[in-house]
Amino acid sequence: MSHDSHHAPVASKLDLAPERSDLGLLRPDRKTGWADWLTTVDHKKIGIMYGAFAMLFFLVGGVEALAIRTQLARPDNDFVTARMYNQLFTMHGTTMIFLGVMPLSAAFFNFLVPLQIGARDVAFPRLNAFSLWTFVAGAFVLNSSWLFEFGHLAGWFNNFAWHKSLVYTDFAPANGWFSYAPLSGTVGQADAALHSPRFTGVGTDFWIIGIQILGIASLAASFNFICTIINMRAKGMTMMRLPVFTWMTLVTSVLIILAFPAITVALIELMFDRQFGANFFNPSAGGQPILWQHLFWIFGHPEVYILVLPAMGIVSEILPTFSGKALFGYPIIVFSGAVIGFLGFAVWSHHMFTTGLGAVPTAAFALLTMAIAVPTGVKIFNWLGTIWGGKIRFTPPMVLALGFIWMFMCGGFSGVMHSAAPADAQQQDSYFVIAHFHYVLLGGVLLGLMAGLYFWFPKIFGRMPNAGVAYLASGLVILGFNLAFGPMHYLGLAGQPRRTHTYHAGNGWETWNFVATIGAFILGIGVFLAFANLVWTAFKGKKCGSDPWGGRTLEWSLSSPVAEYNFAQSPVIAARDAYFEDKHGGRRIAYENDGGEAGVHMPSQSWMPLVAGFGFLMIGLGMPMLSMGVPHMGWLVIAGLTVMFIGIWLWALEGPGGYMLKTPAVGATPSQPAHQSATTH
Amino acid sequence: MSQVSEPAHAPTSTGIEHKKLIMWLFLASDCMFFGTLISTHLLYRKLYPTGFTDAEGHQRFIQNLFNIELTSFSTFILLMSSFLMALAVSAMHKGQIKSFRRNVLGVIFFGLIFLGCQVFEFTHFFHQGLTIQNSVFGSTFYVLTGTHGTHVAIGILWLILLYFYSFTGKLGGHVGALDVEVAGLYWHFVDIVWIIIFTAVYLVEYLGPSGFWGTGLPLTK
Amino acid sequence: MSDAAHSPSFLQEEIRRYHHFITLALWLAAITGVEIVLIFLPVPMAIILTVLCLLSAIKFFAVIMWFMHLIYDHRLLFWLFVTGLALAFATFTALLSLFAVERVDTKWFS
Ligand code: HEM
Ligand SMILES: [Cu+2]
Repeated sequence: MSHDSHHAPVASKLDLAPERSDLGLLRPDRKTGWADWLTTVDHKKIGIMYGAFAMLFFLVGGVEALAIRTQLARPDNDFVTARMYNQLFTMHGTTMIFLGVMPLSAAFFNFLVPLQIGARDVAFPRLNAFSLWTFVAGAFVLNSSWLFEFGHLAGWFNNFAWHKSLVYTDFAPANGWFSYAPLSGTVGQADAALHSPRFTGVGTDFWIIGIQILGIASLAASFNFICTIINMRAKGMTMMRLPVFTWMTLVTSVLIILAFPAITVALIELMFDRQFGANFFNPSAGGQPILWQHLFWIFGHPEVYILVLPAMGIVSEILPTFSGKALFGYPIIVFSGAVIGFLGFAVWSHHMFTTGLGAVPTAAFALLTMAIAVPTGVKIFNWLGTIWGGKIRFTPPMVLALGFIWMFMCGGFSGVMHSAAPADAQQQDSYFVIAHFHYVLLGGVLLGLMAGLYFWFPKIFGRMPNAGVAYLASGLVILGFNLAFGPMHYLGLAGQPRRTHTYHAGNGWETWNFVATIGAFILGIGVFLAFANLVWTAFKGKKCGSDPWGGRTLEWSLSSPVAEYNFAQSPVIAARDAYFEDKHGGRRIAYENDGGEAGVHMPSQSWMPLVAGFGFLMIGLGMPMLSMGVPHMGWLVIAGLTVMFIGIWLWALEGPGGYMLKTPAVGATPSQPAHQSATTH
Repeated sequence: MSQVSEPAHAPTSTGIEHKKLIMWLFLASDCMFFGTLISTHLLYRKLYPTGFTDAEGHQRFIQNLFNIELTSFSTFILLMSSFLMALAVSAMHKGQIKSFRRNVLGVIFFGLIFLGCQVFEFTHFFHQGLTIQNSVFGSTFYVLTGTHGTHVAIGILWLILLYFYSFTGKLGGHVGALDVEVAGLYWHFVDIVWIIIFTAVYLVEYLGPSGFWGTGLPLTK
Repeated sequence: MSDAAHSPSFLQEEIRRYHHFITLALWLAAITGVEIVLIFLPVPMAIILTVLCLLSAIKFFAVIMWFMHLIYDHRLLFWLFVTGLALAFATFTALLSLFAVERVDTKWFS
């Protein structure tokens, strides 16, 4: 090989000689600034970008939610039209689940997993960047539907010739986050141009292709993480020594790779119905719309565990840290997590009790659903066991984590309530269900993720968030949340239907709807404050040591922010919670004699994942515009496919490259300080 | 090979190479993918066992549409391509690049024959009056077998690229053998999916006048 | 790197596998032949169907075990794949039994 200069260990990547890839293109290894972020393959930077996008979309979804609550504040309100209302709740749900919670979980997977298992990167660094950019493409496609909708409302499109042929003009998706057929599909016979009459406009096409692209991003990321966790553990890091967060990442990733194919197929079928006049869900040709419900929930129920398991993992890291005790019943927590994942595939029809499945299936799915509450409850007892008798420190992450347990438990209770099919017949499609899944998703997942953000922010940026603001924000979030969603239990049982843009006065719903709206605004302010505090911290926060909380897992043994190579020398682990025991005199970590002057291997940066992701953007914008009737959009789709293919091909041809980076001298592990703040027994 | 410690060479916790592991994960996931597609097809066959109605409004019986000789031939071709693929992988492990090229060309050739048969079959069925629009059977049949065909096409493209790449001299050693093996795994998987489709979509249609799905319903009204 | 890969025992192993592959290819062709004959035999349908399912399962597992090297590779790979396969099969079974003919008004579509 001729690039010896590139292969001599350097102290900083800026010292690298320019190197050409196998394709003859310059590798972007020495870039700084924007180009560095766009081409990075560093799991920590990718994690930070996932987190930033997720927080942005949380705010977007939050604004949509506040618009919904404003509309419902008073009876017979006309703050938004009925159609806009449908678009709002659809985009709200889709955004929160696919663009808020999932990427924020992915941010933690990315940042933490390699650090927790003692690795220097993920198994496929460029694939990881590809997941990020594909996610961004999908997110942009989904939200661009709003741009079209607003453009249409403002009359911008009226001058275009193709506008005349535009029959369906709702540009933003409006079918709800599960887009049930036949509403999302077609009815009747296809015409000569293969178009069947459709119930809804191109918003549905945006939704279909957007979710498809996001699915590809999640699948790619999950393959990568399973590989990383199975294959890249430090010496001595056996499976039963893995931190619980890493375990939950593994279970979540397995759920993703097994659950997403069902929705992928369902989306393909729906797309064929809409674009090519197929009959998968077309009732007038014998298609069974209910098949969509089945396929959706075969994915959908595992999906709710995909959302919650990472948060459970986070909480399982925070509680022991601030209770000064090891996690109670580690093997049981791991095992129950795996059982939840497994059972999660066998309960999907509890979302379909009222469709008339027949007595036996209904009973079976009800029983299985009740069964799934058992491992969930086991986890809660484990967490209680962990804090029981501990020396609890009520830091902001701990407050949020305790909030998680409490709120999630309430959501679990209402979940068990509608696992009884006869009771669910009352609750289905009412505000009671809204209350249930917001308690698990917002009170549970979001609080857990926020706890994680406050817990690991000092590690990510080396700066400590302002505690006062954090307590205030946590208080507002928990208070506002309960004000907003507690009353919905009552409203639902009192009959208020879900997904209905208004209600008449005189049903006895006025007071609690108004209270809920006030709560929602308090909640919104709380979340905004919490996020603003974090953004401020990232740039201006007070510097802190590498182990401010007295952490237990390996990431706390590293400097903050973490160096590019993560571990100057690879750790060798001799116990679960090795770092904690090591700090307290146990000698549980040894270091391999790698790194130092010889350097550690770093993967090269690359433009190709970004190029491939851009291809998805072109496909994603081309498809809905094609069905809008905009001319030549078929070519955009083909061009997008080509760009994606070329990106992946060149990525294979350019070769992984790589360079050697020097690390601090042997013996001087970067972070022995900061023990003082840890609690000692 | 004087490259810097290649990640592919670095020992892994389990001893399984990353690329092989990720391919198997992908295949596990793809099982669910094809499982869902095949389920869709078969559950509609169960609901509507009698066939489909063509453009002229004639009741058509699927057994008369299918051409079992052709399908058996293409099934045989795909099985043999899998055999050649196994030989190509074996050749790479032994470092016999010429033998690899010969075998992989065979795989590509057989793959193309399979695709050709599928194109022929689709046009034939189309002229017989089966379209994606005129029946549920048309939708599920074309989308299921078409998705499989797309998998085959992607496999062919991959192998063609590997074939030409082998002339650059960079496809060699442990990494090269692994790259070919991973492509081979994909190819074999496409083959086993076809093994299922051959039985579940084609053969069962021949099981007697009342049809396998047959609830004893009469064939024609 | 590749010295181990070319040791005599390694080559012997590869040659042994080579013979397995040839035998297997012959078997696969033969089984496919049997399947095609089977569907035209005047034997009760339930029997034929069972045999067909069995034969394709045999072919399926033969290919994954030998052509795809599962028999030579780490056991974890086998279990990973079987997890996906088993889940797909279970979902398939559940879906097919959930769609009951009696519940669908099929007389309008054929
Ligand atoms: C103790 C565990 C749980 C049980 C027994 C349970 C049970 C149920 C049932 C029976 C429904 C259907 C209600 C209906 O539509 O009538 C439902 C809906 C829902 N659940 Fe759960 N659940 C549990 C935990 C969770 C978790 C952990 C999450 C997410 C993190 C979650 C998210 C949802 C969502 C999003 C819906 C509404 C879906 C929709 O119709 O839009 N659930 N749950
Ligand atoms: Cu569910």
